[in-house]
Amino acid sequence: MKLDLAIAGQGAVTPAGIGLDALREGKAVPVQIEASGRPGPTWPVLRVDLKAPAFARWHREPRLRRASPITFFLVEAAAQALSEATPQERAETGIIVAFSAGCLAYSRRFYEQIVKQGQRAASPALFPETVFNSPVSHVATVLGLNGAAYALVGDESAWVSALITASVWLKEGRVRQVLVLGAEEFDPLVLAAYRSARWLRRKGFLTSEGAAGVLLHAADAKSTTITDARDGYIYRTKKEAGEAAQALLATADPATPLLRTARHNWLAPLEEQLTRNRPAAPDVPYLGEAFLASAAWRTLQAVSLLGPGLPRLSLPVWGLNHQFGLLELAAAK
Amino acid sequence: MSGPHDIVVTGIGAVTPLGENFPDSWEALVAGRDAQAPLERFDTSGCRCHTAASCRLPALDDLPAKVVRRFSRASRLAIPAAREALAHAGLLDAARRSTLRELPVSVSTTAGGMSFGEDFARLVFAEKHAHLFDQVSRYLPQQQVLDLQQTLGFRGHSFIVANACASGANAIGHAAGLIATGAAECVLTGGFEAIAELVFVGFDCLQASTTGKCRPFDVNRSGLMIGEAAAFLVLESAAHAARRGAVPLCRLSGYGHSTDVFHLTQPKPDGSVLVEVMRTAARQAGITPRDLAYINAHGTATQVNDGVEAGAYTTFLGPALGPTRISSTKAAIGHTLGAAGSIEALFALAALRSGKLPPQINLQTPIPEIAPALVGAQESVENPRHVMSVNLGFGGSNAALVFSHAA
Repeated sequence: MKLDLAIAGQGAVTPAGIGLDALREGKAVPVQIEASGRPGPTWPVLRVDLKAPAFARWHREPRLRRASPITFFLVEAAAQALSEATPQERAETGIIVAFSAGCLAYSRRFYEQIVKQGQRAASPALFPETVFNSPVSHVATVLGLNGAAYALVGDESAWVSALITASVWLKEGRVRQVLVLGAEEFDPLVLAAYRSARWLRRKGFLTSEGAAGVLLHAADAKSTTITDARDGYIYRTKKEAGEAAQALLATADPATPLLRTARHNWLAPLEEQLTRNRPAAPDVPYLGEAFLASAAWRTLQAVSLLGPGLPRLSLPVWGLNHQFGLLELAAAK
Repeated sequence: MSGPHDIVVTGIGAVTPLGENFPDSWEALVAGRDAQAPLERFDTSGCRCHTAASCRLPALDDLPAKVVRRFSRASRLAIPAAREALAHAGLLDAARRSTLRELPVSVSTTAGGMSFGEDFARLVFAEKHAHLFDQVSRYLPQQQVLDLQQTLGFRGHSFIVANACASGANAIGHAAGLIATGAAECVLTGGFEAIAELVFVGFDCLQASTTGKCRPFDVNRSGLMIGEAAAFLVLESAAHAARRGAVPLCRLSGYGHSTDVFHLTQPKPDGSVLVEVMRTAARQAGITPRDLAYINAHGTATQVNDGVEAGAYTTFLGPALGPTRISSTKAAIGHTLGAAGSIEALFALAALRSGKLPPQINLQTPIPEIAPALVGAQESVENPRHVMSVNLGFGGSNAALVFSHAA
């Protein structure tokens, strides 16, 4: 599908720090955390430092007084991407945020209250913050975005879906520009889930959190462009995943360098096998697995590689439990 | 602005608390029945509210029992509803699978397979480690989409929107956008929601759920009734429908959506954002408010929502308030959250097709400003040309859809 989306702004919040330089350098140090409810082994997790100075202005926002960590990740990444936008441009900006688990920390806290203390103890202050689109609403409010707002859910491939949606909005003329973000927050419940899926057994695998986003316009010659997107390569079993990955990669130009993005997860050997004869883009730092935040980080990392020496690049978006997608990016002319 | 002027609906299907398919649900709805009943799926003894509108799950006899056992309740609702829509559109083969191998899907939900997630969390909290993977691997919303895709035999682009209670309208609007921009020719779209403890308790602790009858637009309304449902439509370009000889049920002629940033859980008191959303949808449909025969209102029966919404209709409709008939079907099937925008769109569409109108049941003392417009028992309209479905949600999501006569 032709997207022709020009990237007019970028923002990133990562465990390696705040901003694009931190994303490119990718120096993050894991902390050891127990899986929820399971005393015993600990696992390395990459966390965002919510006490970093960049977050101070957001902690002072009245609207964000009860907001979950994911909201803070998002609002900072969004503000970076919008740093050049005038108030009028912001008012005509749509926002799309893609999540996998969304507001997991508050959801876990709210449900734990119900289970351990009883339904009467459930907090009315917490519940609204568990809803997927609450962080989107907060970001729109704080940054003055009056256009349309969507919260999308899925595995990493929801990032492709979000970009396709942005393209539809721009082609329909519903908004002047679109801010597309991906985000996840850590909760120990994630470790329990990953442990049950045996992902934590993989050497080098790191659980992570954060956010990133791009501000998109209709394509112009001066900007880096997301030219094409493909998605919908679904699977349930490993065998189906192999077939879907092969079918997806067959749609990519074999001469265009491909950025390998499956790292330390169950898809890594498959990607290695299927792409070993293709030209590869230089490796980028690994910042752990944070589903939609990871998909967004990888897009920004891919953008940073583009230039005269690498004018085009294929970026696979490997969804870890539904489907695969692929983005084609082109450097500014 | 390009618009979905040549987008038609060719099939619909639903599972609701009033019926296991759309025709049964519609018949019960226009007859004025409501589905409120004690909620028995989980213990509600710590809640103020103990009732909801639950669905009877349709049998999936053609699927192996072990496959059906692994489906979340959300999938048990979504699969028969989507299958009914595809069959209605003439897109199912003899094996009851889609005749279109590539079929984009645009769906909505707020909780996905939440009950599996709750089971997983309970096991983790209790430090019971067995069978955790089965629970966690099937709770995410994309797993219900995968269940749909694999059971009904199609693949392709999928879009899952979780915009709270306006999600269903957003999913339909996105499907229309895909077609209008040439990204797709035919899309399966809709929403699904299964009642989950976390969500039920959430609304209860906000004191947003009623302990009595759900009475939208009543002066003495006391809150919403939680419901569950799945509803699907087949949307396609008129050209695609014509090529395959499908008969359009109606056109999707307008879609408006915007974000009300006034408050996380309350609409702007003057209703101006909702008014603008309705105007956008009407403008795209090329109609004025007086052209609307019926509006399926959001009408949750909470104090704040219905008051603001009634005011918004007064502003939007002006002198057309009265001639344009209004009702909220949440009194009958409850607030189905992520499915609400889809099932209510189907009810509006059925009103357009039949001229019969869903009555505003459970009404005792209507809000005066909207009273002249509320649909009475066994009411109908002659030759309706356009209808609207309106939704509002947490986070300020507002959306409106306009359906117009096919001719």
